[in-house]
Amino acid sequence: MTAIQSRPGAPWVGQGIDRVDGPHKVTGTAPYASDVTMAGMLHAVVVTSTIAAGTITKIDTSALLTLPGVRAVFTHENFPRLNTPPVIPFGDTPVAPLQDGRIAFHGQEIALVVADTPQQATEAARLVEVVYAPEPALLDPADGRPEPLSYLPDTHRGDTEAGWAIADVRVGASYRTAENTNNPLGLMGCVAAWDGDHLEMHDTTQWPIALRQTLAAVFGVPESGVRVHVPYLGGGFGAGLNQWAYKLLAAGAARALGRPVKLMLTRPQMFRLVGHRPDSEHQVRLGAARDGTLTMIEHRATSLSSLDHPAVGLLTAGTPQVYACPNVATVERTVRLNRRYPASMRAPGEAEGNWALETALDELAYELGMDPLELRLRNVSSVVHPPSGLPWSSNALVECCKVGAEVFGWSRRDPRPSSMREDGLLIGWGMAAAFYGAYLAMSRARVTVYADGTAAVRAAATDIGTGTYTVITQLAADLLGLSPHQVDFQLGDSDLPAAAQSGGSGLASSLSNAVIDAVTHLHGELLDLVGEGSPLYGLRPDDVVCRDGALCRRDDPATQESIADLLAGQGLLEASGDGRVRLPDPATAGMCHAGGFGARYVEVAIDPMIGRLRVRRVVSVTDAGRVLNPKLARSQILGATVGGIGMALFEETLTDPDTGRVANGTFGDYLLAVSADVPDVEVIFVGEPDRFTPAGTKGVGEIGLVGVPAAIGNAVFHATGRRLRSLPITVDQLVM
Amino acid sequence: MRAFVYDCPDAVDEAVASVAADPQAAFLAGGTTQLDLMKDGVWTPDRLVDISRLPLRGILVESQQLKVGALTTMEQLAAEPVVAQRLMFVREALLAGATVQLRNMATIGGNLLQRTRCRYFRDPTVSACNRRSPDSGCAAVDGVARMHAVLGVDERCIALHASDVAVPLLAVDSTVLVSGPTGQRRVPLSEFWVRADEGPSIENVLGHGDLITEIDVPLLPNGWRSGYLKVRDRASYEFALTSAAVALQMDGDMIADLRIALGGVGSVPWRAREAEEMLRGTHVDPVRFEQAGRAVMASAFTVPGTAFKVDLAVRTLSRQLLTMTEATP
Ligand SMILES: Cc1cc2nc3c(=O)[nH]c(=O)nc-3n(C[C@H](O)[C@H](O)[C@H](O)COP(=O)(O)OP(=O)(O)OC[C@H]3O[C@@H](n4cnc5c(N)ncnc54)[C@H](O)[C@@H]3O)c2cc1C
Ligand code: SF4
Repeated sequence: MTAIQSRPGAPWVGQGIDRVDGPHKVTGTAPYASDVTMAGMLHAVVVTSTIAAGTITKIDTSALLTLPGVRAVFTHENFPRLNTPPVIPFGDTPVAPLQDGRIAFHGQEIALVVADTPQQATEAARLVEVVYAPEPALLDPADGRPEPLSYLPDTHRGDTEAGWAIADVRVGASYRTAENTNNPLGLMGCVAAWDGDHLEMHDTTQWPIALRQTLAAVFGVPESGVRVHVPYLGGGFGAGLNQWAYKLLAAGAARALGRPVKLMLTRPQMFRLVGHRPDSEHQVRLGAARDGTLTMIEHRATSLSSLDHPAVGLLTAGTPQVYACPNVATVERTVRLNRRYPASMRAPGEAEGNWALETALDELAYELGMDPLELRLRNVSSVVHPPSGLPWSSNALVECCKVGAEVFGWSRRDPRPSSMREDGLLIGWGMAAAFYGAYLAMSRARVTVYADGTAAVRAAATDIGTGTYTVITQLAADLLGLSPHQVDFQLGDSDLPAAAQSGGSGLASSLSNAVIDAVTHLHGELLDLVGEGSPLYGLRPDDVVCRDGALCRRDDPATQESIADLLAGQGLLEASGDGRVRLPDPATAGMCHAGGFGARYVEVAIDPMIGRLRVRRVVSVTDAGRVLNPKLARSQILGATVGGIGMALFEETLTDPDTGRVANGTFGDYLLAVSADVPDVEVIFVGEPDRFTPAGTKGVGEIGLVGVPAAIGNAVFHATGRRLRSLPITVDQLVM
Repeated sequence: MRAFVYDCPDAVDEAVASVAADPQAAFLAGGTTQLDLMKDGVWTPDRLVDISRLPLRGILVESQQLKVGALTTMEQLAAEPVVAQRLMFVREALLAGATVQLRNMATIGGNLLQRTRCRYFRDPTVSACNRRSPDSGCAAVDGVARMHAVLGVDERCIALHASDVAVPLLAVDSTVLVSGPTGQRRVPLSEFWVRADEGPSIENVLGHGDLITEIDVPLLPNGWRSGYLKVRDRASYEFALTSAAVALQMDGDMIADLRIALGGVGSVPWRAREAEEMLRGTHVDPVRFEQAGRAVMASAFTVPGTAFKVDLAVRTLSRQLLTMTEATP
């Protein structure tokens, strides 16, 4: 990483400065898609199916057009024909909407009502009359039709049957997780406006470039003419990664009507139309020698998916990576049903897989009569990445486990179930290790310095509340030798240099990588302006740094030229450097790009008579590589812990077994953890900057959720002696 | 857009006349139930008669009872000092309900009249709901049922009356004062609600245009203790899975007299008279507490999703009886 300058306040990286976008948010001046209005703008409301499988035989909308304010009603009979959406990894576009009368899930988009006001459109949407030819729906996961898909290839190393045979102690069990719905507070939606073949789209996407690409392909217009704006969005947790049908509906309607169209989903629609964490089932078998050394790990998992959409399944992705077991096999399938599209939700797949694996390890520890922490420490492969045999680029999992144990007071734990009691309550202490795979995607960034001494960074990234605005500003301030207030990071606009999605916890790593590269190019640009007589003449980009508006020799900062003078000398007002992610090839770099690691320690108190469980304490230790901003990183871990508590104890999107309808798609019925459910959470970061990326980051967005459900479940076992293998763990499972 | 007439009368007679004259009219108090039903398209009255300007807000403390204006909010009633002194379980039930934002809007009259949370009832795209459309069936019986009732229900409807505060109000034999098109009358809460197994589509004895003006709540005699226990998954902001309101008077280690009502289990707030009779004049005995609970739950009608409530309700009652008999007055 470029040397950090010793100027007042610097280095900014590593400081917990306040969010730079905070004032805009708290004063209500941050523009969200829902705030956008335009002259002549109409409002669209989606109508959804009330059957799970079949076809529409008649959809009568003529009467609606006589209602006040109603401008158009689109169905599969009159909606513009769309091109097939392109395939985008992780962010697939579901089947284009309203192209035929086929119904593939209950709650599917079947019509769009466009009116002068949202109220008019809402009322008319209620009155759309549909006649269906229903077909028997595939709703039972045990149905067996159609052929399950595999998203991840099966993996194996060694010989698991041999590892099972030689084991002194064996465990094997099934684990289940429920469907969870992302539910960012901000409802998703967009405003689409066409000018000829030019489309402006204000949206809640987490991936503006992918949306641009999709819209251009679907509507057959040049990508250069499609512009996506998302300066702010009210969260996403992954729901904003896909190019959902509502976006195509709004854009199609706007084009057909020649007027801007706004479409905001309702909360119940959020449960149906923008993805979710699908239900999953896991069979895990573990074998170990008497001393706790793992002899085999087998993890077979299935999750539920929709008929048309393969969906991301990463249920077993983490399983072969953490422990130095010689014999490991993973098998993963998605079962396709007439159900709504699953997608990514915070730590998709890995949160579920970790729940299964880390619960099974706890069971193994009890079979062995060994401390669960000790079992982890015995098996963690902290130097070598087991599947590739390459050294990890960083791995502080052992430190996570040890520091967490220390802070939590783990050594005071009496391992016997139901042994720790307090005022009639059963106290349980549980722990789990956590891993979240590394992800680094291509990003570009442009860094510009101006004659007035300020600078801008530009990239078509998003800040979904995670702190992207702030951490990149801090990084750029250090790289340019400026204060954060002198740096303006502009994002959320697809006309800016293409950037990766806010996904896979990879954006900070990708963007920082590109920004560092851009600053090197900026040095080159500035050196190009240096005259022959200058002491900087002939230096290479790596030989100089920017500092306080000057270009300086790196090894002798007093030797410098004012950037304003350099620009003026050529009649310029600004200079820019364009950068992109430079990926070391893991094979040639000789190491495996590590993701985040963590250890979660949880205390629960259970009132066995009435099944009341409260999480009383959480210690969450994470190795996220370099922490760019500890305050914001802590917020990420806190929020993820809340999500993990919700996944463990409350969240469950239920489907009517006979109809495929979402049975509890409102905030009154779907329970999220509320403040009163969240105890004080101690957040600790350990580890070193990662060696794989120049900024040394590994991502903090998702790792914090991983391990929380298993630590809670393991604490429940410790409290009660009852092994509960199906999430969420509810009152009725806990009365005893 | 669905248009409706909005009236905002100043006098009770006007409000009653306004609703009585229009079969499609409804009263609007705090709106926390009514507006949700309208937004969900479950109930779309042509006329909303906003009663918030009527002089029905406030609490009159008398020596033996409280006269609670129907528009008194949940927070106001919870903050009344006499409630903390003489009706602790009413205060606890209020504060365990909803959220402070809702409790500042929600009125006591409206609370008694809140409609079931059954998601099939609240989604008009579901056709089978005997409560919403008579003789259409009941989707909940074969569907996802958890927030549903097990007492006073049968296969025609398992809707829960989810109020918390109604449970202790019933336990102390409160009475509502009703002004209707034909004049005023008093209805004891014990006769106010209609069980789902007595007809799923009728929820209470009010006729069209009947307005609750006041709830008269007897104070517990000095020396009684009371408490409300609410069991739920989350720590806050969730309806009861089961709850128990218990008030009692001890005489040494004997229960001299007591009142019990249960929430989270009935199609109406559930008075547990058989348990009261089994325990009145007996010594503190956990086994007997459980037997009393079992006696109340003996007539339960369950579906797979609600079966756990039978045992949980017994435990909830036993626990609350233990807490109340152990407590010092
Ligand atoms: C998210 C949420 C959570 C909740 N949680 C809880 C909880 O935990 N515990 C609990 O007990 N309750 C809970 N409630 C219910 C809440 O307490 C009731 O909605 C509220 O008390 C209703 O009062 P209101 O004044 O808002 O009534 P409104 O919604 O205005 O009216 C309700 C009904 O009663 C009628 N009505 C109102 N006042 C009168 C009157 N004086 N005479 C005749 N008819 C009248 C209306 O026409 C309407 O049909 C919750 C509600 C919500 C929305
Ligand atoms: S339980 Fe009652 S309210 Fe719910 S669907 Fe059945 S009939 Fe309707």
